[in-house]
Amino acid sequence: MKFRSGVSAELAAVDGRKRLNMDKVMTVVCFILLLIIVVIPIVMIIYNAFFNEGKLEVEMFVEQVTESKNLEAMWNTLKIAVLATILGTIMGVFYAWLLGRSDIPAKGLMRALFNIPYMFPPFLGAMAWDMMFNGRSGYINKWLVQLFGLKGMPININSVWGIVFVEVSYYFPFVFMQVVSALERMDPTLEESARIAGAKQRQVIWKITLPLVKPAISAGALLILTTSLAHFGVPSILGYAKGIYTLPTRIYAVIYNSGGSFDGIRQGAALSVMLVVVVAAALILQNRILSAGNYDIIKGKSMRPTLIKLRGAKIPLFLLAILTLVLIVIVPLVMIVLISFLKAYGLPLEFKNFTLAQYEKVFSANGTIDSIRNSLFVSITAGIICMFLGTLVAYVVQKIRPKGKGVLEVISMLPYAIPGTVLSIGVILAWSGRIAGINLYNTIWIILVAYLARYLSFSMKTSSAALLQVHSSLEEAARVCGASHTESLADITLPLIRPAMVSGFFLIFLPAMREVTTSILLYGPYTRTLGVQIYSLRDAGMIPQAAALATVAIGIIIILNTIVTKLTKDRKGV
Amino acid sequence: MANVIFDNITFRYGSNTVLDHFSLEVESGKIVCLVGPSGCGKTTLVRALLGLIRPETGSITVGDRVLFDAKKRINVPAEKRNIGIVFQDYAVWPHMTVLENVSYPLKKQRRSKEEIRQRAMHALEQVRMTEYANHLPNQLSGGQQQRVAIARALVVDSDLLVMDEPITNLDAKLREEMLLEIRMIQNRLGATILYITHDQQSALQLCDKMAIMEQDGSLCQYGTDEEIILHPANRFTFEFIGVSNFLPLENTPSGLVFNCGEPIPCPLDVPPEAAQGGYELGVRPNDIVFDSSSPLRARVDSRVFLGSEYNYFLTLGQKQIRVQQSMLDARTRGTAGEGETVGIRFLNTRFYPARKGGTSA
Repeated sequence: MKFRSGVSAELAAVDGRKRLNMDKVMTVVCFILLLIIVVIPIVMIIYNAFFNEGKLEVEMFVEQVTESKNLEAMWNTLKIAVLATILGTIMGVFYAWLLGRSDIPAKGLMRALFNIPYMFPPFLGAMAWDMMFNGRSGYINKWLVQLFGLKGMPININSVWGIVFVEVSYYFPFVFMQVVSALERMDPTLEESARIAGAKQRQVIWKITLPLVKPAISAGALLILTTSLAHFGVPSILGYAKGIYTLPTRIYAVIYNSGGSFDGIRQGAALSVMLVVVVAAALILQNRILSAGNYDIIKGKSMRPTLIKLRGAKIPLFLLAILTLVLIVIVPLVMIVLISFLKAYGLPLEFKNFTLAQYEKVFSANGTIDSIRNSLFVSITAGIICMFLGTLVAYVVQKIRPKGKGVLEVISMLPYAIPGTVLSIGVILAWSGRIAGINLYNTIWIILVAYLARYLSFSMKTSSAALLQVHSSLEEAARVCGASHTESLADITLPLIRPAMVSGFFLIFLPAMREVTTSILLYGPYTRTLGVQIYSLRDAGMIPQAAALATVAIGIIIILNTIVTKLTKDRKGV
Repeated sequence: MANVIFDNITFRYGSNTVLDHFSLEVESGKIVCLVGPSGCGKTTLVRALLGLIRPETGSITVGDRVLFDAKKRINVPAEKRNIGIVFQDYAVWPHMTVLENVSYPLKKQRRSKEEIRQRAMHALEQVRMTEYANHLPNQLSGGQQQRVAIARALVVDSDLLVMDEPITNLDAKLREEMLLEIRMIQNRLGATILYITHDQQSALQLCDKMAIMEQDGSLCQYGTDEEIILHPANRFTFEFIGVSNFLPLENTPSGLVFNCGEPIPCPLDVPPEAAQGGYELGVRPNDIVFDSSSPLRARVDSRVFLGSEYNYFLTLGQKQIRVQQSMLDARTRGTAGEGETVGIRFLNTRFYPARKGGTSA
C-alpha cells in the first residue's frame, strides 16, 4: 500500500498536549514568504495596470495597448522570438546530431565549447557584435568598406535580423543540450532495425531519429521562445539606437523616459501585462506540445549508439563546426578584449593605439568596485536565501503536502514565467513605500527582493528533484530510532539533499552575477550591479571602459564556472 | 519481553477505511506473523504501532506502556516508543556508514561513545556484518543492507521488534537463511517479534503464532500455524494459506451433485445446511487420495514429480482439480499415469457457502 508521507504532520500530540507543530510552522512560513516575495509584486502590477488611486481606470491600459509604438514593439518581440526559435532549433538539432551521432573528430572538446554561449551573458555578445557590425561605425564594416571600396556599410547588426542572429548564437545551446542527451539515451536498435528493414541513411534520420527526439526538440525550442520573448539585453543594445523596440526594452524606455515617475511605472505595468500574456500563451503552448508527444523509447541508462560515418563530408562539416564556434564564441570575446585596450573608441585596432589606461580608469572610478561588490553581495545573498527557501518550499510541497500545496507549487514557479523586466516593475510598485510604508527603492535590498522572486524556482526545482529521491521511510526510520522530527530533518533529509542544495545555489549565483534585465530598472545611484555598470558605461559612450569591465566580468564568470565544475566533480567522488 | 495489544483501532485514509475497529493481542516473547493479502492494512497497522500515523479510535499498548489511546488523548511520538523496526525497503541511510547507521539509535539515546561502539559492533556481530562496519550502504548487496537494517533494529534492545516484509526483496536461498537468522536472534533475545508479510510460505516457516488479515482489514484468525492449517476459521483462511480445490454443490431432483460442468453425484456425508445446495466443498490437494473403490472417477491430465511428492492435475467432470501425493503414499498405493482414469476419495472436507460470481479451483 502506498501512503502519503505527510501523515507525520499528525505526530506532534504527546500525552494529549499539542506541541508546536514544525510541519505547520514550515507550511505557514512558506506561504507567507511566497506571498511577500512573489504574490504581492504580481498583484501590484495587475492592480496598477487597471486601477488608479483605488478606482478602476481602463483607459490608460487601452491607450497603452493600442498605441502604435507599443504594438510595433509587440510585433518585433514576436518576430524576433519566432525567428530566433526557428533558426536556433535548426542549428541546435544539426549540431546535436553532428556531435551525438556522427564520427566527427574532437567531440568532447567541441561539446564543452558549444556550452560556452550558455554561460556567456548575451548582452556582452551583443556589445561585441555591435562593435564589429554597427551600421555606422562597426570595425569590420569599416574594414570591409575600405577593402572593397563599398559605398555603404555592408552589414547592419542594428536590425531585427541582427538581434535574431545574436540571440540565436546564445540560445541554440538550449536545443543542442536537450537533443544531444536525448540522442545519447535513445535505443540504437530503433535505428538499426530501420536500416535492416531497407531504409537509407537519409530516410532513417528523417523518419526515425528526428521524430523520436521530437519531444526534446520541442522542449528546447519552447525554452528559446519564452526566453527570447522576455529577453532585454540584446534588443536593448542593438535596437535602441535605431529605434527598434521589443516589449521588454519598450517597458524600460517608457519608465526611463518618464524619469521613474509613477505614471511611467503604471504605463510599464500595462505593457507588462501585455508581455506576460504573450509569454503565458507560449508557456501554455509548451505544456500542450510537451504533454502530447511522449514516446517511451528513451531509456534511462546510456547506450552506445552506432555512429554514422560522414566519409567525404567529415572534414567540411568539422570545419563548419569549428567555424561556428570561432564565430559565436571566440570572435566576440576577442573583440571585447581588443576594444578594452583602445585609447579611444573608433581608433584603428593597431598596436600603437593600445593602452591599459581604460582598466585604470574603470577601476579608479567610484562605481566599478562598488558594482562588483554589489553584484557579489546580491548574488551570494540571493543564492543562499533561495537555496534554503527553495528547499523549504520543496519540502513542504513534496513531504508535508498540506492543503493547497498545488497553489504553493504554482506560486513558486510563477516568476519563472514572468520576464525579469516585469518582475522589476512589480517589485518597484510593491516596495517603494506603498505597502506598510516599506520603501526599498534605490537600495540594494530591492534588487535582492527581485532576485529572490526571480531565482526561487531554480533552487526549488533542484531541491524538489532531490527530495523525491529521499524515500519517506528514511526519515521515518530515524523517528522510530529516537530522533525528533527536527533531528530527523537535520540528520537524514538535509544531508541527503545537500549536494542538490549546493548546485541550486550555483544555479542562482552564476546567472545573478551577470544579471542586467532586472537590476537595470532597480538600481539606484549607489546600487549598480556589475551588469548595470557595464551597460551604463556603454550607454554613456565610454565603450572601451565598458569593454574593459566586460573583460573583467567574463574573467570572473570563467573563474567561477571553473570552480563550480571542480566542486561538483569532487563531490561526485564521495 | 512485552505483549502488544491493539484494541479497537480504526484508521481511515480519506474516505477509505483501512482498519475498522481492529483488535489483536500479540503474545509476549513470540514470533507472530501478521499475514494478509497486499493492501489489507498490515502496513497501516504497523505504522499506527510505530506512531507514524494516528488512528481515529482505540488504543495501542506495548507491555505496560500505553502508546496510544484515542479516548485519553495519549499519543506517544514515534521517537519515544522504543520499538525496533525493519522497514520493507530497509531504509538504511545512504549517507552513513554501516556502523553509523547502527549507532544512530544509541546516539539519540545519548549513550557514551564507548557504549555506542560496543553495542553497535555487537549488533553487527549478531547479523554477521562486522567486517562491513565502515562500508557505505551502496557498497552492499540487498541482503547485506537488510542485515544492517536488522542490526539497527536490534541495537537498542527493545522488547518489541517489528519487521515489515523484510525479506521480500531477497533471493530464495538468502530468504531461507534470513528466516533462520531471525529465529535465532529471537531465541537469543527473547523479544517479541511482529513479522508482517503477504507470503504465507515464509510465515509458516517462521512463526509461533499467526494472525490472518482479510482483504477488508479485519482479523479473521489468530492461532498457531498448526491450528490455522488444520482448522481454518473460514474460507478465506483456508484459501489463503496453502493450495485448495473447490467443488460447487448443487441440490437437484436426483439428489446432491457436484456441478463440475456436468452433474456428478456426491457420495459424501454432507452437513445439513450444505445439503441444500449453494455450498462449495473445499479440499486440499494432499487430502485427495486414490481409491479404486470410490465411485468418484477422474482422469489424470498430468503428473509431475517434485522430488518429495507427485503433483497431479485431474479432470473431474469438466473441472480441473489438483492432487498432491506424498512419496510414502505413492509407495503404498502406487502412482497414477497420465491418461488413466482413477477413483478418488476426499479426506478432511470443508463446506463453505458458494461465492458470488463463480468459484476458483
